[in-house]
Amino acid sequence: MNLQRKIQQLLKPMLQPMIAVLIGLVTGALAIALVGESIMDTYKVMWDGAFGNFYFLTATLARATPIILVGLGLALAFRAGVFNMGAEGQMVLGAVCAALAALYVPGAGIVKLLSAFLAGFIAGGLWSLLAGWMEVKYKVQLLISTLLLNYVAVLFAGYLVAEPFQDKSGSAALAQTPMLDQSVWLPKLFAGMSVHMGFVIAVIGAVILYVILQFTSSGYEVRMLGKNPFFAEYGGINKQKVLLFSMFFSGGISGLAGTVEVLGSQYRYVEGALTVPGYAWTGLMAALLANSNPLGTAVAAILLAALQTGAMGMERNTEVPLEIASVIQGVLILFVTAKFTLSWWKVKKKAGDVNGAV
Amino acid sequence: MTYRLEMKEMTKKYGDFLANDGISIQLKKGEVLAIVGENGAGKTTLMRMLYGLEQPTSGEIKLNGKQAQFFGPQDAIKQGIGMVHQHFMLFSDFTVTENIVIGHEPIKNGFFNRKIATEQVQKLSDQYKIQVNPSKKAGDCSVGEQQRIEILKVLYQGAEIIILDEPTAVLTPFEVDELLKTIRFLADQGKSIILITHKLPEVMKVADHVAVLRNGRVTGNVKKEETSIDQLATMMVGRELQQLSERNPLNGEPLLTLESISIKGKGSKPVLDQLSLTVHRGEIVGIAGVSGNGQSELIQAISGLTSVDQGDIRLSGTNLVGKSVAFRRNEGLAHIPEDRFLWGAAKDATIEETGVMGYYDKKAFNKYSFILKNSFREVVRTWIDHFEIKVKSIDDKSGNLSGGNLQKLIVARELGFETDFLIAAEPTRGVDIGAMEYIHEAILEKRNRGDGILLVSSELSEILLLSDRIAVMFEGKIVDILDRKDATEERLSVLMAGGKEDESSAKNTTTA
Amino acid sequence: MELFDYSLFASAIRMVSPILLAALGGALCARVGIFNVGLEGLILAGAFSAIVGNYYSGSVIIAVLTGAFGGVLVSLLFGLATIKFKANPIVAGIAINFLVLGLTTFGLRAIFQVKGAFYDKDMTGLPKWDLPLIENIPVVGDLLSGHSPLVYTAFIAAILLYIFLFKTVVGFRILAVGKNEAAARSLGLKVTVLQYGAIVASGVLCGLAGAQLSLGQVTMFTEGMTAGRGFIALVAMMLGGSHPIGMIGSSLLFGLMDALSIRLQGFSMPTQFTAMLPYVITIIAMFFLKDRGLESQASGQQSSR
Repeated sequence: MNLQRKIQQLLKPMLQPMIAVLIGLVTGALAIALVGESIMDTYKVMWDGAFGNFYFLTATLARATPIILVGLGLALAFRAGVFNMGAEGQMVLGAVCAALAALYVPGAGIVKLLSAFLAGFIAGGLWSLLAGWMEVKYKVQLLISTLLLNYVAVLFAGYLVAEPFQDKSGSAALAQTPMLDQSVWLPKLFAGMSVHMGFVIAVIGAVILYVILQFTSSGYEVRMLGKNPFFAEYGGINKQKVLLFSMFFSGGISGLAGTVEVLGSQYRYVEGALTVPGYAWTGLMAALLANSNPLGTAVAAILLAALQTGAMGMERNTEVPLEIASVIQGVLILFVTAKFTLSWWKVKKKAGDVNGAV
Repeated sequence: MTYRLEMKEMTKKYGDFLANDGISIQLKKGEVLAIVGENGAGKTTLMRMLYGLEQPTSGEIKLNGKQAQFFGPQDAIKQGIGMVHQHFMLFSDFTVTENIVIGHEPIKNGFFNRKIATEQVQKLSDQYKIQVNPSKKAGDCSVGEQQRIEILKVLYQGAEIIILDEPTAVLTPFEVDELLKTIRFLADQGKSIILITHKLPEVMKVADHVAVLRNGRVTGNVKKEETSIDQLATMMVGRELQQLSERNPLNGEPLLTLESISIKGKGSKPVLDQLSLTVHRGEIVGIAGVSGNGQSELIQAISGLTSVDQGDIRLSGTNLVGKSVAFRRNEGLAHIPEDRFLWGAAKDATIEETGVMGYYDKKAFNKYSFILKNSFREVVRTWIDHFEIKVKSIDDKSGNLSGGNLQKLIVARELGFETDFLIAAEPTRGVDIGAMEYIHEAILEKRNRGDGILLVSSELSEILLLSDRIAVMFEGKIVDILDRKDATEERLSVLMAGGKEDESSAKNTTTA
Repeated sequence: MELFDYSLFASAIRMVSPILLAALGGALCARVGIFNVGLEGLILAGAFSAIVGNYYSGSVIIAVLTGAFGGVLVSLLFGLATIKFKANPIVAGIAINFLVLGLTTFGLRAIFQVKGAFYDKDMTGLPKWDLPLIENIPVVGDLLSGHSPLVYTAFIAAILLYIFLFKTVVGFRILAVGKNEAAARSLGLKVTVLQYGAIVASGVLCGLAGAQLSLGQVTMFTEGMTAGRGFIALVAMMLGGSHPIGMIGSSLLFGLMDALSIRLQGFSMPTQFTAMLPYVITIIAMFFLKDRGLESQASGQQSSR
């Protein structure tokens, strides 16, 4: 009986995302039919492309790695009640600073590696903190400022690798840094497979963030700030401090996403390598899908990564373009949001009914 | 003869909860019907069904003998029913005229003609002797004036039946008299009035007929001439009220001292103006005043939610000015907030999470920065037992609690800190009589243990019942402090309006 | 090459029109109490459908109409999510931006079989209208004459919106909904209808903004060609206090920055920095905002009073 209730409690929050996923798949099916392919066969090809064999599975996990980390960073900000939309800029600045640290900090490989992590975290964190500071101090809306700061960060990183730190060794003048020394590369988990140590870091990060948010006083302060800032203030929580800390760590974790991508799979900062696949936005969707639960975010990130690698497999084998993945994701997120406020609305209505009785 | 309005066997169920259980009322032309009952008796539900905001589970509504149905406020308005809500439904940026004509705007050449609208409003104002300034912004009007706008609005909409929901709660005593006169005048002009209230003296002054509700049922339906305040009170509560414990005389040391604190605020007048006050140990100091005279700012200034521009706040000698909320709480301040949903809880947080605020970083419940949930859950369970808080589960959302139960949870939390000093702001707003008695008793017990309490309430009866001394606030100042034995409702009313009786009435007529 | 000359201001006026049109659309939504973060997506949908209409019909008029229609379709989806399903408007707006980005790239592949951008030399762009009389006035003629019809439409739309909001009954009621939705409902105003109306109108305006983007200068569609203009329009809306005349001013500022950013490319400056200019100026502009669209974004908490 108690067990049954526990299972129900676990499943209940899963129901709405499941409905959203279903709607997403139906939309995808419509799009496939529109192109004139067989729906079931195409989905089968997609599944194989994501999980079909060990190689594809590890490719999916490799793709999921930065998405999980970005998702975790955003989940933290969302929990604190701030709409941090700046993950892309935070990730890119983290990546470029990590690459530069790994290239130019003197010392042994381990020193370079640690400074790369530190540089990536701090760069992403400070960029995010800037938006937090503008919000706290001057009431510059964080939602929009973070969005705009993305463009600035991406352009700035592009400038760094196109001008002062460009790799001049090759014949083609690509916008990228020189290759990092092998000693700072994150090891691959399996020989010949693309998934690297960063995935382990991301999963451990998810567990740590979950524990902190759920069981510690700092986590409690963050969550209460997000649920009702007035209540938090009334109860003695320092609103501004918690908001700024949350933003710093949120951006820092996004910075780490860029860092592990540089150290684990690109081995240099290449312009567009992080923005074109849309890691940051997929991470945002993962956090939204999971209602900012860190463990759920990690799972959602893997599923969304699978959708994308699956779509690539589909494009190789069918006539359906891989952008179908973006369509499915967009629809999914549109309907998963309906859930948030639907449940919130119910609570409000109920409370209103009882309290409205004067 | 047929009644103008008849509601027959009205029943409304929310899940298992019967908000209205077979309620029948009748209303004649030119009659004032008062519907009285304590919080949660079902008054508001009944009116929401009449105004089309809720659909009855069963029952019928007849207008002038014909069956009527309302699917929304627009249906009710069309059929001549108007409602003046307790919390005004005004657009503060719009002018008085715009607020009155909205929904039925005069149109000329396809455009909204504000000139004609103003003329119409002026005419209506003269006809019913309800004074307003048509071109003033509603947000700049006094509370009494805003209520007059609301009444003119329903008249403009052509209402024959006017529902007034707790109309006197926000008014000064002088404004209350004016309103009662207006109600009588409207009834004499042939309008039918439904007055929803829990203030029995007003009922006796103005009503023709009184319907009493309790627990969703009609417990009395009497003519005003055939009843008395005592009889109505008994019908409302259904039992004798409990007597509060004795208060032992304590002559404690000063605990909280405020010395000429001021807050400038946005308007031309300061919201707090050189205010000084002392609360001693073993004393309840009540703050009386019409809402909006600086009470909220006073509470926030003491608790640290807003900063003062000038002055000194000391708790047991420690200076609090410029200190954080957390610091003040650690120094021995607890605070029952005036708005439980805004300040006192997070709707989406669980009951446990709402309860643990302020305790989560205390040594007893925190180890290596981890919150000791299991120890704390025991504490919450004792609160639930002790205060008889009705909860489904400790993991249920706070927003799912009824207002009264949430209030009890907040009171339990704040009393649980066992601080020397407590701010109790509207501690019983919207709770039923049982919970009210319980909370009053708990506050008095705290006083008898030698703690100091600052009580702020818009209910004079509550202030009179609990306070040892009563400070009256008007326009950000304390105009007088009365001893318990000297305070009467009449004396306080005069002070709340800003001074001596004749002075206040002169003042009010000029602003009207 | 001069940094400031007449042609800079003339191109500023040209760049203003998508921002102004979208800002007007955003303002309509804001006036009924919906903060529309999905402007970016609406513009992109307009830009893409305008190109599709142009390609298949060969008529610019039909292209503009399909552009507006594309904006309306997507705005209806947004309205459905936020009004019918009570989704958080901010999250739904962001979802709309993604969805349209995905749909348009998918559409590029499915309809035109290209990736990244679509261009066809047979497509005709928007005409340039020379204003009689005005074109002959020296400086003024250079500035104001010779723009596409949508540029003039943007300014006329602002004036019409001003009259609509502040002089008509429906406009008055729209203002009422945005100021106090509960009060508007209690009066029996058709809040939902007004909200849908405003959202559809914003779809038309953003669709036109998109059509100006894809048909105004070079007749082509590029993936994500809005490049944050929707968000800049949002800031222009807030800076202009959701007031049509105020928004003309704020949009002119951002249009000038756009034009300046392009002009600066001719100087020896890294293109990355010149491209940053509009975004940086927009962020700086936000320091001066008085009317904040939404106070606290995430808290669904409401006072019990």
